[in-house]
Amino acid sequence: MTGAVFETLKALIVEDNAHMRTLLRALLNSTGIKDIAEAANGQGALTILRERKSDLVLSDLAMKPMDGLEFTRRVRNDEHNPNPFVPIIMITGHTERYRVEAARDAGVTEFLAKPITAHNLFARIAEIVERPRAFVRCDNYFGPDRRRHTLDDYAGPWRRQDDFQQEVDVR
Amino acid sequence: MKTALKQMAQIIAADTYPQMVSRQNAARAMQTLRSAEVAANAQAAMDAQVPAMRAAILEYVDELENAQSDMTKIFETAHEIRGFAESAGLVTTGRIADILCRYMDDMERIKKPVDLTLVALNVSAIGRAARAEDGDVAMGDAVAAELAALVARRLTDAGHG
Repeated sequence: MTGAVFETLKALIVEDNAHMRTLLRALLNSTGIKDIAEAANGQGALTILRERKSDLVLSDLAMKPMDGLEFTRRVRNDEHNPNPFVPIIMITGHTERYRVEAARDAGVTEFLAKPITAHNLFARIAEIVERPRAFVRCDNYFGPDRRRHTLDDYAGPWRRQDDFQQEVDVR
Repeated sequence: MKTALKQMAQIIAADTYPQMVSRQNAARAMQTLRSAEVAANAQAAMDAQVPAMRAAILEYVDELENAQSDMTKIFETAHEIRGFAESAGLVTTGRIADILCRYMDDMERIKKPVDLTLVALNVSAIGRAARAEDGDVAMGDAVAAELAALVARRLTDAGHG
């Protein structure tokens, strides 16, 4: 059942821990993804992305000299990167709320807390396949739409046409 | 009253940029991700990694125990341990490492020094849990619960909200 769809995909793993890279590679292999590049930090990963097409990126957060947040920002905003829309799954043991929000604001597509399970990793990949998100470009952000839910108490900023749609409709 | 920002956001719809999997292939991709065969392959792949990961965890534990008062080293090593101890089947080890990391991270955020005795207690518990994980899970869980409670009290004492 390992799918022909996945056999055509190219993935990139950005992780400073060799054991985690091996584990992630094995899990991707089990879906059928075989063409997988690896980098030990964001800097190396950027070089790979410029030279080789990648359909999916799995990235750690804490790495040196370039961490996963800066890497993600560069992927989204670097004019030399051929695919700023590439899905990035941030995989990290840093699950504190402020770090999750920092990852979201850097432009990650999905966030996955360690410890890794196949079920959780595949669920994030499934989310990317089933519910691809719109991208948003504004003065200080470019990346996947960060508004996944409608909050009754959302207080702005209001910078989308549809933020005002309801008021327009009423008139 | 909503006030629009000067620069409105540009929304780029999902069907206007290249997707990882095309809409035509999405159903087949989902079938693959949800198949029992792929789940079994993935579990076998993880199981195959367990011996190497356990050996690596024990190396990290040695590093942790030898870090003495180097708090940066202790945090970074504990962070590595919490990252994949559970994947290696060392659940309690990962849990205690997570308690230690969260404590050190919270103290860093409120700019207070860590309690060295509490750090040493956690380091010791991580070592014992990693080396005895198969034998005394109940005891390890009890120790982890005690440490979590102790850390919570210390954070409260330090003024962490």
